Amino acid sequence: MTQNILLLEDLPEIRAWMKALVTRVFPKSRIHEAALVQDALGLTASIKFDLALLDLGLPDGSGVEVVEALRDRQPEVQSVVVTIHDDDDHLFPALQAGAFGYLLKDQPRELIADQLRRMSAGEPPLSPSIARRVISHFAAQAVRKPSSSSKAAPVVLTERETEVLVRVSKGYTLPEIGDQLNLSRHTIADYVKQIYRKLNVTSRAEAAVEAHRLGLVGE
Amino acid sequence: MRHLFKLLALWLLLATGVAQATTVSITSALSVDGGAGRLPAAGALPQQVSLPDDWALTRPGHDGSVWYRVRFNAPSSATDNELLSLYIERACSNLDVRLNGRLIFSGGRMTEPVSNHCYRPLLIALPSALVSSQVNLLDIEVRGYALGHVATRARAGGLSALRIGPQSELMEAYARRNFWNVITVQVTGIGLLALGGFLLVLSWMNRKETFLLHFGLLSVGFALMSMRVWWSDLPLNGRTVEFAAVLVWSAMAALAVNFLLGHARTASKKVSGALLLQCAVVAASLLFTSPERLFMVASTWFVVMALEVSAAVVWYLRKIRQARSEDFWPMALTFGAMGGLFLLELALQSGLLRPLAIHPWSVFSPLLLLVIGSRLLLLFGRALQAAEINRAQLEARVAEASAEIERSFAQLSALRVEQSTDKERKRIAADLHDDLGAKLLTIVHTSDNERISTLAREALEEMRLSVRGLTGKPMQLADALADWRAEAVARLGQANIEADWKLPADELAQTLSARAFVQTTRILRESLSNIIKHSGASQCKVRVTTDAENFSLVIQDNGKGISLELGSKLDRGHGIASMKHRAKQLQGQCLIESAPGYGTVIRLTVPL
Repeated sequence: MTQNILLLEDLPEIRAWMKALVTRVFPKSRIHEAALVQDALGLTASIKFDLALLDLGLPDGSGVEVVEALRDRQPEVQSVVVTIHDDDDHLFPALQAGAFGYLLKDQPRELIADQLRRMSAGEPPLSPSIARRVISHFAAQAVRKPSSSSKAAPVVLTERETEVLVRVSKGYTLPEIGDQLNLSRHTIADYVKQIYRKLNVTSRAEAAVEAHRLGLVGE
Repeated sequence: MRHLFKLLALWLLLATGVAQATTVSITSALSVDGGAGRLPAAGALPQQVSLPDDWALTRPGHDGSVWYRVRFNAPSSATDNELLSLYIERACSNLDVRLNGRLIFSGGRMTEPVSNHCYRPLLIALPSALVSSQVNLLDIEVRGYALGHVATRARAGGLSALRIGPQSELMEAYARRNFWNVITVQVTGIGLLALGGFLLVLSWMNRKETFLLHFGLLSVGFALMSMRVWWSDLPLNGRTVEFAAVLVWSAMAALAVNFLLGHARTASKKVSGALLLQCAVVAASLLFTSPERLFMVASTWFVVMALEVSAAVVWYLRKIRQARSEDFWPMALTFGAMGGLFLLELALQSGLLRPLAIHPWSVFSPLLLLVIGSRLLLLFGRALQAAEINRAQLEARVAEASAEIERSFAQLSALRVEQSTDKERKRIAADLHDDLGAKLLTIVHTSDNERISTLAREALEEMRLSVRGLTGKPMQLADALADWRAEAVARLGQANIEADWKLPADELAQTLSARAFVQTTRILRESLSNIIKHSGASQCKVRVTTDAENFSLVIQDNGKGISLELGSKLDRGHGIASMKHRAKQLQGQCLIESAPGYGTVIRLTVPL
């Protein structure tokens, strides 16, 4: 299957090895390179992508902008953030914006390749600290919901999704949780995907409410 | 206010003393008009008049002098030692008295400006040397004005009945009349002057409260009108005095109306203007009226002004009643009394009533005014007190608010320092990532040498942890354990080593500093790397225990253990030595127990 892959990275050396790595994992893919946010946004207007690998800190902005643009223009694309930052303050906003997963650049090549394969197969990663952020995000959401009076039905996590999140937050790995709950690796991955999707939905609703409150959007 | 009423009652009681009369009352005299200053000849007094003689009735329109001649025998009861006196209740405006042809009393100037004694009784001693034991001849020359020439009947010419007797007996009647018509008026005049002055000072300090100014001026005006009892020799001719009196009264009526409207909070510039205009009209009407009609014109004006004031009073009473003021009844009574006084005065002026011993208007109206003024002062005092309390409360609130602002400001600046420190740390972290991080990353991914790229990766990892130690906030121990476990289980899993890490069952409430988290993470990673790379273990067991002061990690593998040779090699590679060093930096310790063939146990204890 021919895939269109967007590769956004400003450092030429890193972009080169990333390209080599992606080509190895997806031999038939066509890779479109961009060094700036503006270039990437331009590409999203003309090319339909299947996968996007996006660096966060770029000279003219953040890869999060591209994540958002892709979410709005090409909802089916999988955005994966590739970054040197491993802290939640960088990762969580990207996930909220609609990123499907994240890769740390300094991991060994093989590990990155493995994660990339798993992600494209629909197994997004979820660390304990990210899980904690997601839990507190939804808790705050539940508290805020009655007053914000948004038109859409409130987005809540199912019991199972919550269960998975709590276990991840306590330090259990996804395969372990699958064993504990007698669920397949696949099902657990679906829960995680669902959680990311809902995270993005609530974040967008929240952003809309906030924009409305600030008078950025009319009735 | 109640005390004032009591005082009034006491005065009224005093007024009803009983006079005894063992004296001669003279109720008729021979009289002749004119002939100022010249004693008429014996037979030149053709007219027999009864006393009191009211010129308005007996000689209307007469202006000038009238001579009265009375014959009397010295009272038989009078002893040689007793001084005889002549008591005249009223002689208006001025008089000279002659006994047996000799002048024994002069009230002042008999020509313009004529002295004025209309309001005061006179007690004139008859010198014993001049009193004959036979028949005595008393000649009284009265200089007065026709009713038409004065504004009020009280200043129209006339002579009361005369009484001659021992001074001690007449003294009582004289004193009583003098008390009411002179002393009371003088005292209330002083009171009104003081009150008015005080109110004027108050109104100067409170320009907004114009009713204070109006009432102050009103009081001073009343005091001014009582001046006649102080000063019988005004250097003004009769016409000027009358003119001034009417003008002052019209000004006072204007002030009264302004005061009432102002106090009812319905002051009106139009009304004030109209009243000012009225004063001018009054003056003009007096100037252009023929002198004979002065009384009529003045009386008309008095009635008009009284109607105006009455209307203002009714308006005022209605307003304070609407406001449910507790002042309504006292004020209504006071104004009612004032109205009654005015009606009485009107009856006296029009001649419906014979003149009374006490002139009610000039005695009691200042008293009522004093009552109102005192009430005003009381109210003003209360308002002042309330304002003072309000001000104090307001000041307290302002002080409170300022303290609050200062506190907030202090907090804000503390926060700002914290924020800017935080910002600076984040900036350093970002720089490290962007610059050093990118370079290390390039080495990691472009170096052909595995060892170099591993070193670069480790350096990057170190840098990340350093940044975290620099910028990180304290974290929950439970969260730290979750992160460690997830990483350890994932790494061991990838290396096909069975991981056994049970999390503590209880909730952990302790927190861990960012530094302790970072150093422990490094120690744990080093241990895991050693197990994965060197131990050849198939199992790794991790146990966590905590108490109040410490938490400890026990990492046990079933590998081949560390040989002495390997141990020294590890130490050279800064492996075990750096783990121990890091533990020491945290005031903790890292113990490594190992024997070939028995695996390795790492015991890390870190204070919380």
